[in-house]
Amino acid sequence: MTRSASPYTESCKKEILSGRKNYLFLTLVMAITDFKIKYDNSILGYLWSLLKPLLMFGTLYLVFSVFVRWEVENYRLYLLLGIILWNFLSEVTLNSMVLLEGKASILKKIYFPRWIIVIASSLTSLLTLLLNICVFFIFFIFSSARFQTSALFLIIYLAELYILVVGLALLLCSLYPKFRDIHHIWEVFVQLGFWATPIVYPISIVPAKYHTLIFLNPAARIIQGCRQALIGPGKEFLGLTNHIIILAVAVCLFAVGWAMFSKMSRSFAEEL
Amino acid sequence: MIVLEDVNKIFRLPHDRRYTLRQRFVSLTKKNTYEELYALRNINLKVNDGDFLGIIGKNGAGKSTLLKIIARVFEPNSGTVSVNGNIAPFLELGVGFQWELTVKDNTFFYGALLGMSQREIEQKYDWIIDFSGLERFVDAKLKNLSSGMQVRLGFSITVSVESPILLVDEVLAVGDIDFQQKCYNTFESFKKDGRTILFVSHDLGAIERFCDRVVLLENGQTKMEGSATDVLALYKSQ
Repeated sequence: MTRSASPYTESCKKEILSGRKNYLFLTLVMAITDFKIKYDNSILGYLWSLLKPLLMFGTLYLVFSVFVRWEVENYRLYLLLGIILWNFLSEVTLNSMVLLEGKASILKKIYFPRWIIVIASSLTSLLTLLLNICVFFIFFIFSSARFQTSALFLIIYLAELYILVVGLALLLCSLYPKFRDIHHIWEVFVQLGFWATPIVYPISIVPAKYHTLIFLNPAARIIQGCRQALIGPGKEFLGLTNHIIILAVAVCLFAVGWAMFSKMSRSFAEEL
Repeated sequence: MIVLEDVNKIFRLPHDRRYTLRQRFVSLTKKNTYEELYALRNINLKVNDGDFLGIIGKNGAGKSTLLKIIARVFEPNSGTVSVNGNIAPFLELGVGFQWELTVKDNTFFYGALLGMSQREIEQKYDWIIDFSGLERFVDAKLKNLSSGMQVRLGFSITVSVESPILLVDEVLAVGDIDFQQKCYNTFESFKKDGRTILFVSHDLGAIERFCDRVVLLENGQTKMEGSATDVLALYKSQ
């Protein structure tokens, strides 16, 4: 049996919408709630969570600056920035699926647009990202890098990254209730992506013929762009073409993710 | 006003539910068999503003499904639903309570889930805490409260939502006599305020006491709709 577009009449939808303009508030409250639970309501909880990217950074830094030596200026900053940005991608995409399952009992009893869960989870991770970037700037101050005006591009790159990542999260979450193992599959992809993206190594060690392939990944473009904006050297990722490519992919993914999610989320209450 | 026209809800109950890609892949050759269960069949219902409508029926008759469809949690497979007015879902107390957070944080979270704005919650916060009798525990984590206290908090937050339509599903089943009395008093006052209430219950005494009209569901179909006395008489005689 096929479903009609929506069994709810227009007036009904409008009523529910106009009566509940508080979706923004609900999104914020949900994000804050998740954040508080995640960090156990304490500053120390947050510091603890910082350990994960920092430990990863420490290990990789040890391996790749002591054992293997890349010819990269400010390698410490280069690596840290890459890890922080990739961490954001992996956290939002993976956590949104976990949170969707965690909120199943609410979904079964109360109606609210299901995207609120994904957006709230992305906001929680965004807050972590911003705090991590503060940590990055502490490293920045104690390094030989100098502040350059192009650093302001960071904000644009973060916005692009956010659209991209939320698009991915929506897509994954729309499939999750039917295919639970997509969480594991995606985990592997994130791990592969970590090494297929120039996060740890400089792009210069990759043979030129693979560059096109690597930069098919918009996240790689964003990470390179952020690095060039903040620590240089080079400018090729600061140009308009780069932004257009990133935005084109990100917006497409977001549109597809949104459409899929709107369709699939109608039956979440039954399937989760 | 709530109007339902020809609403059908079919649940597909697979014999062997496949949750993962792996399961789907492994059982590619096997046919995915399932039972179709008509939870609701051709339901037509009209509830006017200010009605106190009771919904009764045996387990599995479709009572809760009906409320969930009106609350938009489930979508019907066919038919239309139109609801004028804000709905407060009263389907279960304390849905979404976060055990690791304080009473205060939970009040904001649950209030927001029920559709309240920040201002509304702030305005009603003192009332909620007072009504639930938890003044001394606002900064305690919810998991450290007794289950009775948790229920009181859930109830207080829910009744503070100012929506014209309330969907009530068996909340009265939990709680002691005092609490039930409190619930009944609240319903009396809601009725006086002219709010529309849909009330699902097995407590026939409460149905008789409050409801102007009662719908009897059987196997997902409306068996009878009418005054409380008539419908209850039929239901009891079965």
